[in-house]
Amino acid sequence: MPITPPVDTIDYRRRQKIGRIVQRLVIVVSAIVLAAYILAPVSWLVSSAFQTETEIVSIPPHWIPEEPTLRNFEAIFTAGNDEPVTYETRSGADPAAGDFIPSTAENLLPSMANSLIVSILVVILNLLVGVPAAYAIAKIRFWGRNASVYFILITRVIPDIALVVPFFLVIRKLGMLDTLGSLVITYLAITVPFTVFILIQYFEGLPDELDKAARVDGCSRLQALIKVFLPLSLPSLVAVVLFTFLTSWNEFLLALMFTQTSASQTLPILLASFTSDFTVSFSFLNAAGVLAVVPPVIVAIVFERYIVSGLTAGAVKG
Amino acid sequence: MARIRFTNVNKKYANGFHAVRNLNLDIEDREFIVLLGPSGCGKSTTLNMIAGLEEVSDGDLIFDEQVVNYVPPHKRDVAMVFQSYALYPHKTVYDNIGFGLKMRNASKEEIDERVQDAAKKLEISHLLDRRPSQLSGGQRQRVALGRAMVRDPSVFLMDEPLSNLDAALRISMRAEIKELHRAMETTFVYVTHDQAEALTLADRIVVMNDGVVQQIGTPDDIYERPANTFVASFLGSPPINYFDGVLEAGPDDEMAFVRDGLRLVLPADHAARLKGQEGRAVRLGIRAEDVAEGTAEPGYNALNGTVNSVLPVGSDQYLGMDFGGEELFFRVGKDLRHAFGESITLAVDLNRLHVFDRETGQSLIWNAA
Repeated sequence: MPITPPVDTIDYRRRQKIGRIVQRLVIVVSAIVLAAYILAPVSWLVSSAFQTETEIVSIPPHWIPEEPTLRNFEAIFTAGNDEPVTYETRSGADPAAGDFIPSTAENLLPSMANSLIVSILVVILNLLVGVPAAYAIAKIRFWGRNASVYFILITRVIPDIALVVPFFLVIRKLGMLDTLGSLVITYLAITVPFTVFILIQYFEGLPDELDKAARVDGCSRLQALIKVFLPLSLPSLVAVVLFTFLTSWNEFLLALMFTQTSASQTLPILLASFTSDFTVSFSFLNAAGVLAVVPPVIVAIVFERYIVSGLTAGAVKG
Repeated sequence: MARIRFTNVNKKYANGFHAVRNLNLDIEDREFIVLLGPSGCGKSTTLNMIAGLEEVSDGDLIFDEQVVNYVPPHKRDVAMVFQSYALYPHKTVYDNIGFGLKMRNASKEEIDERVQDAAKKLEISHLLDRRPSQLSGGQRQRVALGRAMVRDPSVFLMDEPLSNLDAALRISMRAEIKELHRAMETTFVYVTHDQAEALTLADRIVVMNDGVVQQIGTPDDIYERPANTFVASFLGSPPINYFDGVLEAGPDDEMAFVRDGLRLVLPADHAARLKGQEGRAVRLGIRAEDVAEGTAEPGYNALNGTVNSVLPVGSDQYLGMDFGGEELFFRVGKDLRHAFGESITLAVDLNRLHVFDRETGQSLIWNAA
């Protein structure tokens, strides 16, 4: 007997199809709104870096520069070359035309170098300290293991601003004010707990048998860590590198407290100083802002492809 | 080649758990020893102590004449195969097998020669460029074996290496492991909870429970002459059946096991070992296969009961039998079919009875020798 579909019933197939379209629409629209919210300020920063001061302040604003110019970047790389930037030279220039540059402009490139040195040192030291610490906590059973994890984590419960004064007193006592060393030490205090925590989670996820197999195969603990665990931990190491680099690169509060001169000032401090001049040159500031985001973007692009899952597939019976 | 000796070895963890208690064991050079027991009995801990992956808390672990309690794993000439294979997922099969040699600074030529040789023996030469994730369970197991055998170690350790394989592959791999032991002429220590693996592979079996060695002996010793009820219960499928009763002396040095509705006269050699023990509360053990369907005189050397369940297993069948309210399981031939509730008489092979002390569980026959 042929099967006949029931009459006067709900068309579930159609209903499911409509549901799927609505779901997809909601996802796409939400994604576009979110992307616009995140990308709009960055787009304006990049766009305005290639505009003259007059074009930047024009109404309505130009999202795409009508007359793109590299003058702002030229000014950054030549600041202080021809003549020292003084009140007289600046007051002679016309801020509206974009000729005006801040008094501390010539410190921009040195401060960028400072930021790079501090960030790279913090990344390297984080890995040197964090990797063995996390391996020990994750894979070696020792007395006080849990206590050490809690101790490391509890240091992050205290907000950074509460630590500024104690940090300042210690750094002053050590005679390290206005040095890059002061920043490296304090940034390590902030980032190492996170590094250890991220890596503990990852190492604990790697099978104990891999560690045992490596040691029976002839590796010391350190060799097992380097030859077996590190290659498998690449995604978490990349996360650590990105996190510590970006934290160090962007850090403002501690750098503001500990640095005074171009010898140790980092990029965020210098960029902030541009806004405290007697006139603000948006074109120059935005061009400097573009330069400030370039290194983190490069680091993110280079390392992003290593953030892949499934590296341990096939290690043990799944 | 190595002889391994445990003298009064204990393993206690920081949390107070006493994993291995007072272990005394002498493993001969080139012997195939199987550590057998349920989960948590301390067998893997014992294996890890040999490998150096667990510290010995107390006592001495001796390789040949050297105490190795504090020698790290990479300084002991041991190789190990893990239950989960533990292959390095970021390395190819070739690099996995050659890793141990590389860590011991072998030349490239030597590594290549040995890896190719091992791969050929294990029939995985065509897989050398693949990564572990691209292999089946059986292939991974072979790679794990290759990684251990390529080093030609003094001691070969295996921690339940076959338990992740399917039944058919497990049986064929058993034969290969036995062949590997013959070919390598080295000491093998093998951990398993599978009695069939233990009985097929071992020169000697060490049965463990709760960190204590229950019995050490050849597979025949362990199966035919269990030292206590734990060993008797752990081996055999279906498990051994127990009856509580007392010993009763008869004429002409006769000794019988007696309980309600059952009187089994023990053979002369059993009776001789049990002499003077009449009246003692004992537990009688009858292995599932030590019965035959027959019409022996009721109450003498026969069990009468009703059929509770019939479980055919291909070659024969498991028969569940209600005996005075107790559930017993026997293995009988598959030719006779029985129906639920049917009365049945099974003749007991009296020469294969086991008698244990009811309090301690120790065998009164085999320990008396």
